[in-house]
Amino acid sequence: MRKKIDGIQLMSIPAALLFGIFFILPLFQGIGMSFTNWNGMDKASFVGLKNYIKFFSDSRALQDIKTTILFAIGSALLLNILGLIYALLMKDKFKMQGLIRVIIYLPAIISPLIMGYIWYFLLQPGRGFLYRSFEFFGGSLSWNWMANYSNTIMILILVNAWQYSGMTMIIYLAGLSSISKEIYESANIDGAGKFQVFSRITLPLLIPAIRINIVTNIIGSLSVFDIIMSLTEGGPGYSTESLSIYIMRMCYGNRTGYSTAVAMILFLIILVPVLISFKLTKSRS
Amino acid sequence: MKRSLNYKILKVVLLGLICLICIIPFYVLLVLSLNDPKSLFYNGNMFLPDFHLENYLEACSRSKIGRAMLNSAIITGGSLLLSIFCSGMAGYSISRRPSKINILLFSVLIGCMMIPGIINTVPLYTLMRKIHAVDTLWGMIFVTSTLSLPSGVFIFTTFIRVLPKELNEAAEIDGCTGVSAFWKVIFPLLKPATASFIILNGFGIWNNYAQAVFFLQSNNKHNVPQALSVFFQQFAGAKWHLVSATATIAIIPVVVIFLIFQKQFMTGLADGAIKG
Repeated sequence: MRKKIDGIQLMSIPAALLFGIFFILPLFQGIGMSFTNWNGMDKASFVGLKNYIKFFSDSRALQDIKTTILFAIGSALLLNILGLIYALLMKDKFKMQGLIRVIIYLPAIISPLIMGYIWYFLLQPGRGFLYRSFEFFGGSLSWNWMANYSNTIMILILVNAWQYSGMTMIIYLAGLSSISKEIYESANIDGAGKFQVFSRITLPLLIPAIRINIVTNIIGSLSVFDIIMSLTEGGPGYSTESLSIYIMRMCYGNRTGYSTAVAMILFLIILVPVLISFKLTKSRS
Repeated sequence: MKRSLNYKILKVVLLGLICLICIIPFYVLLVLSLNDPKSLFYNGNMFLPDFHLENYLEACSRSKIGRAMLNSAIITGGSLLLSIFCSGMAGYSISRRPSKINILLFSVLIGCMMIPGIINTVPLYTLMRKIHAVDTLWGMIFVTSTLSLPSGVFIFTTFIRVLPKELNEAAEIDGCTGVSAFWKVIFPLLKPATASFIILNGFGIWNNYAQAVFFLQSNNKHNVPQALSVFFQQFAGAKWHLVSATATIAIIPVVVIFLIFQKQFMTGLADGAIKG
């Protein structure tokens, strides 16, 4: 009898091995590498905190931190505002509801890299769809999304929110459907208007879900890579480069030790919202 | 009464607008891909396609999109199989034998669920080079299945926990030991869990770019996003019709699979949202 029990215990070994070798081991190796000047080929030597000091004195790296955090917070806020509005519009049954849900969700399944290329074609100054449409209706558009940093970062956030708001919508639809019907019924008997029902009942009940969603979206957006690679490649200059792209470019530039230090800094940045999310889920349950 | 009618009209207008904004980029891509090859950029037809279907043939022969789609299919299939195999068994072991070591494994996996792959990709790259796994499809399968392992273990563990333990006893009476009882009796019951795991991870593996940039470097090992990025850099200057045709080819299988399984997809996502 005892032997059979051991068989079931041993069944977690493949997962433990896979995760240990391809995730945990490199994670710890990365911590070690971040204190060396390794270039990926020759012998490495210990340099202490030099990589970290270099990072914080490099204006490109500091700009990358700014872009990464700005993108993450902007995306998380916009994604949740849009997702919540979409969910409120979609929550009651109506004709073609299923079709509309599919349409709104569709962009989220496409590679963000490909999506970026498509938006590049739409937004190209002077020759993209947006500009041609203005001309078609007799107007003209001189606005250029690549002209300055705030335009570019705004477009990155907008395209990202356009692509993934269907995902937040689904999460909020699930949250809305878990609010009991009786609460709404009693509110209707008391003669509450639509806006009152939303601000006094729906919103307060959704606040815990909203908090967790915003934090998880911040975590997800902090490692943004694809959409920036395809829309701006980090430009103009290096202004919209994210930390993930910086890590990749430093690794390809044979600055392996330095790139792992950047990864550790990104890890520490991500740890902040991760710890907040643990706290939020704990206080919820 | 009038107020509720106004609200209804507003709702229809808003939903129509949202749908239009969601669809326009896809429509523009289609129009571009069928554009006259002689017309640069967005010249010529604005809203109606030209039907130069030969663009697609040229796109196929000039890009490596066919090969890339095959690679992506192998990587996605292999990766899903490997992670279902590992996380299904681990989920069973964790929920049936909550020993100290299993609890530790579960906490580590859940703790790492939110850490993105890019954090350890560089040291992983040196490890992969040592075991000659760089620029191989099997290497990429190991990388992507590791990244989806935490969510797999989480889904399977929570799902198996609520299955009655009597199922095991019944299987043992039939002569199945613990391990084979899992594959013969429990695993067939896990179809909804397996489906929601595939839904949550399948498209992400197919679309992976941040890891593919490191681990798939030569042209005939590229996956779909990489093949497209190479093609874009080559032709985005002037031949938008070719890039658009290639992108359309790359998108079609994903959209078709999504449309076929959309019902399961939406319920699977909602389940994941409630449990997560």
